[in-house]
Amino acid sequence: MEAVFISKLKPFLDAVAEQMELYVPKKVEQHYIYSRYDPSADMPAEFNNIRTCTTVKEFLFPMCELAAVYPAPVEPKDIKPFAVFGLKDCDLRSIEILDKVFAEEEFKDTFYVTRRENMFIISSDCFEPGESCFCNLFGGQPFAQSGFDLNVSQVRVGFIIEAGSDKGKDFIEKHSRLFTGVPEAALAEQGENRARAQKQLEQNNAEYQLDAPIKEVVENSQGSDVFDIEAKDCVECQGCTRICPTCHCFYLYDTRQKDYFTKMKMWDSCMRQAYAEVAGGANPHKILGDRIKHRFMHKFVYFLDRYGIDMCVGCGRCVQTCAGGMDIRAVLKKLSEEVKGKGKRQAKVAK
Amino acid sequence: MSQNPYQPINGEIADIIDESPTIKTFVVVPEEKFRFETGQFVELTLPGEGEAPFTPSSSPAETEKMEITIMKVGRVTALLHECKKGQKVGIRGPFGNGYPIDDFRGKEVYIVGGGVGLAPIRSLFLTLVDRIKDFKSVVCRFGARTPDDFIYKNTLFGSWQKIAGVNMKLTVDEANDNWDGNVGVVTTILAADDVEIKNAVAVVCGPPIMMKFATLNLLDFGFAAKNIYLSMEKNMSCGIGKCGHCMIGKYYVCKDGPVFTYEQIKDYPDIWD
Repeated sequence: MEAVFISKLKPFLDAVAEQMELYVPKKVEQHYIYSRYDPSADMPAEFNNIRTCTTVKEFLFPMCELAAVYPAPVEPKDIKPFAVFGLKDCDLRSIEILDKVFAEEEFKDTFYVTRRENMFIISSDCFEPGESCFCNLFGGQPFAQSGFDLNVSQVRVGFIIEAGSDKGKDFIEKHSRLFTGVPEAALAEQGENRARAQKQLEQNNAEYQLDAPIKEVVENSQGSDVFDIEAKDCVECQGCTRICPTCHCFYLYDTRQKDYFTKMKMWDSCMRQAYAEVAGGANPHKILGDRIKHRFMHKFVYFLDRYGIDMCVGCGRCVQTCAGGMDIRAVLKKLSEEVKGKGKRQAKVAK
Repeated sequence: MSQNPYQPINGEIADIIDESPTIKTFVVVPEEKFRFETGQFVELTLPGEGEAPFTPSSSPAETEKMEITIMKVGRVTALLHECKKGQKVGIRGPFGNGYPIDDFRGKEVYIVGGGVGLAPIRSLFLTLVDRIKDFKSVVCRFGARTPDDFIYKNTLFGSWQKIAGVNMKLTVDEANDNWDGNVGVVTTILAADDVEIKNAVAVVCGPPIMMKFATLNLLDFGFAAKNIYLSMEKNMSCGIGKCGHCMIGKYYVCKDGPVFTYEQIKDYPDIWD
């Protein structure tokens, strides 16, 4: 992989911003959120040590967008190339998941696909995985593995920048005057930083290791009362689904304008009581515990069956957000214990 | 067709037929030719108000116009019931899979329907009748709450009964003075010897409670779960398996259905809710 070195972040970000709109993490209290980078405004070029609070899905699948204008269709406004800096491995894998849904061969969502094609992805290493991070339980790493155009690793003396795509390579070539070769010591430090972050993740999540594959654990929980127990603390705020980088349910609604009509597409949540209700009143998910169960089933069983990957990247945003203190890792662990217990009981009966 | 899956085709309501106190059939003329397979569904938009999923009740052989039978049951359908001839509408689709008619060839097709569930069944029935020689027979068992609640009364009580190769029985939950037929829910007119089960497929469409008990009856008769076709109704919205509202287990009713075999969905909880 082609790698170069730069001692300061600002000239690099300025070069990106010269070419296209750039969004960078900005620290707000203890969280990072995305904001538009303005090279002239003396904006600090900040390296986020941990994933942002908001998710990358907002760039590809905005909270509310125009889906169609009728009766006379209007071509969607040109979506211009844009770049996002500071995405972590969990974010990249969430894009992979959204691609499965919205860029699916026969059923493409044209809005998503256009944004996706215009997005320049600049990922970066996780320096300090948070308490709620558990990407390691889902095959994730505290550094980007694939799916980026450029990746940035911070070291004491500067930043290592690697290309992960032709677009990324072209960028490095075009701006070669900004970069130098990577010092030997910097490479060694990058490796140490990554190993330290990995170890941190393993330590944080040691107690949540499951005894069986996640799919098996969740599939076997169909009759479990764990979901109804969790539901007692749930206040139905839907925060978990809004903040989840892989949740992608949406709601279509129509509006009346002066001389035309629109269809709008807005995020929805399977935690909402009337989510699956039909006009006649039938509703397969009337009970909150059933809705929580459906969310787990969708993430760890149904999605896997259909697309071959889990619909969770272990970013831990839902853990941080939940007003009721639900921790998805702890729920999975409880279910896993239950399955183990069931297995033992069955073994006993068999004897 | 537009590349954008959310863009409706423009159309107009050309005629409205009163079927029952709560059900009307809307004859919709799309601006462009519209093809669908029997059993597939469309999203019908009332401009500025919203859209809802319906399986057309007309034959797919008809591409210039389409009939959609609608029961007044929610917000959008209540507004549609207030519409007059000439009302502009939007149509998205067709979505999902239809009935696998070719697999029915040479077999007896046992159709159990109730209430407004006769809407998709009418489209299927017309399609089967068009090539009736391809099937050993078409056996229909239809129910409604009262005689007045039957839809397609003219043809149902008339010409459909006389088609060679068609065997039809009707029932109502509550009779009136003009009714001399069977009284009872639709399962009361199902019998194990209605068809030769080894060489038959069953199609069920109606209210969830009726579908549940009809399916249980058919299983009792010895129908294999893979030979019972159910037209499932969930909260289909996007039509392309993304928005999530219509999931039954791993299936999106809008994309993988709305026609499922009982075999496909029998292990999921709450399929009848």
